[in-house]
Amino acid sequence: MTKGVQNVSQVQIKVDNLNLWYGEKQALKNISMQIPKNSVTALIGPSGCGKSTFLRCLNRMNDLVKNCRIEGKISIEEKDIYGPDVDVVDLRKKVGMVFQKPNPFPMSIFDNVAYGPRIHGADRKDLDSIVEQALRSAAIWEETSDRLKSPALSLSGGQQQRLCIARTLAVKPRTILFDEPTSALDPISTARIEDLIMDLKKDYTIVIVTHNMQQAARISDYTGFFLMGKLIEFGQTRQIFQNPQEQSTEDYITGRFG
Amino acid sequence: MFSKNSKEKGIESVLFFISTLTVLILFLICIFLFRDSLLLFKETSLLDFLTGKFWYPTSVNKQFGLLPLLLGSLLVTAGSILFSVPLGIASAIYISELAHPKVADFLKPFIEILAGIPSVVFGFFGLVVLVPFMQKTLNLPTGQTALTGSIMLGIMALPTIITISEDAISSVPSTLRQGSLALGATQWQTIYKVIIPASLSGISAAVMLGIGRAIGETMTLMMVTGNAAIIPSFPGGFFGPVRTMTATIALEMGEVPQGSAHFHALFAVGSVLFIITFIINLIADSIKKKYRFKVG
Ligand SMILES: Nc1ncnc2c1ncn2[C@@H]1O[C@H](COP(=O)(O)OP(=O)(O)OP(=O)(O)O)[C@@H](O)[C@H]1O
Ligand SMILES: [Mg+2]
Repeated sequence: MTKGVQNVSQVQIKVDNLNLWYGEKQALKNISMQIPKNSVTALIGPSGCGKSTFLRCLNRMNDLVKNCRIEGKISIEEKDIYGPDVDVVDLRKKVGMVFQKPNPFPMSIFDNVAYGPRIHGADRKDLDSIVEQALRSAAIWEETSDRLKSPALSLSGGQQQRLCIARTLAVKPRTILFDEPTSALDPISTARIEDLIMDLKKDYTIVIVTHNMQQAARISDYTGFFLMGKLIEFGQTRQIFQNPQEQSTEDYITGRFG
Repeated sequence: MFSKNSKEKGIESVLFFISTLTVLILFLICIFLFRDSLLLFKETSLLDFLTGKFWYPTSVNKQFGLLPLLLGSLLVTAGSILFSVPLGIASAIYISELAHPKVADFLKPFIEILAGIPSVVFGFFGLVVLVPFMQKTLNLPTGQTALTGSIMLGIMALPTIITISEDAISSVPSTLRQGSLALGATQWQTIYKVIIPASLSGISAAVMLGIGRAIGETMTLMMVTGNAAIIPSFPGGFFGPVRTMTATIALEMGEVPQGSAHFHALFAVGSVLFIITFIINLIADSIKKKYRFKVG
């Protein structure tokens, strides 16, 4: 059963019967969905329902968890990302991730952004322009252009998060995963990042986990509702918010639980 | 009842007394050390002491030149750093980043035991095993060399370097690791481009403390370095005997007449040693403070 979006022009991420266990405990149950290209997809649901776990499947960050076992199939751009010939480094280049807490490296602003391109062998002479472009795309160029050499940790929390977005963009991914990127930020920084995300969908496919219903409604085109490891409902955001098919979705969205 | 009762106050003042006692003892040691050292300079000038090339404390023409002892200590210490630092850091990285947690838990107690072995036991091992080995494999007239001392010291400094570096590396937040891996970095790239730079100050503190441990070591060196007070050449000096400052004090203090120039000279050597370790600890401390600030 694929819960889904009809008449999707192009599918970026296709998930089929995904099951995931942490040791004995099953954290994701039989999840299938198709995430359209160049869209913002929001994942919502109460704490512990498996949103982050699901997100980490998409760039194989769960590989780092020792006793994590996965069944099912995930294809990104029609390639099975758990297939035998997959290079995880290459996958993570194409599928970037921005975390809940801003996590800039303890180095300069410039070096943070240049980190990815450098490890992937970018030409030294191209670095300046790659960094500038990434900072511009992440809407933080104006604030940092005159202090690229200063430590990234001297930026404010909101600036640090946009720097982390720039750092991800510099690797030129095609999909970007956001795990509650604004939950540690003030309202103004949050608004800036929301604007940025809506802007980025021109060029990227975006999946964002959020606890903020208004945020999901504001910025996403599609919404998936998770509950206890299951994907209860997935569809166009407007439809999910105005006319949910499942009682639990409605209860969650209207704040009756979770 | 929120006010402290008299019992608590009593405990507090006892603890205060005990903690000030250590400061007092340190202060007294300094006074005695420096007072007796200064008496040397009635017979020799400070310059002659610091730059003198000969340590002939008992010959007719007494000479109290620090250089052979100072250079002996520095050579042995430098040699020990040369191999204990890379080895120690590599082990710390392995234990905190690469090893399976079970393997790490298995290894750690051994490192702690290594730290607890008395230095005379190390010296004994060095004398019986390493000294003959060095003599044979390097074809030297004697296996009691600076290099032998360096190797023993390096082994002894390893636990300090490993434990403190490992501490620094483990305290790098895992969000940084994940951030790097999520950008497509390999584990090795993550280790040497993010983790090590982020824990560099902690690692440097570990190295400084390792040096501090090495330079103050006495017994082991006395047993394996041959104790010849000659200025070592570099790097050839590694293959001959040397005498360190610590060994000199330990060897000669028992036989020297109290109040003699020789007696005061040994105190002066002790003062130099004290100043060196004090400075090293100061550096280690300031590095550690900086690093706490950065991570915290
Ligand atoms: N590394 C792990 N090892 C074992 N269990 C885990 C691990 N990570 C998550 N879990 C468990 O899996 C379930 C889903 O966790 P997950 O972090 O995906 O939830 P979430 O929906 O992101 O929650 P939140 O909204 O609080 O971030 C939880 O019950 C959690 O305890
Ligand atoms: Mg989460």
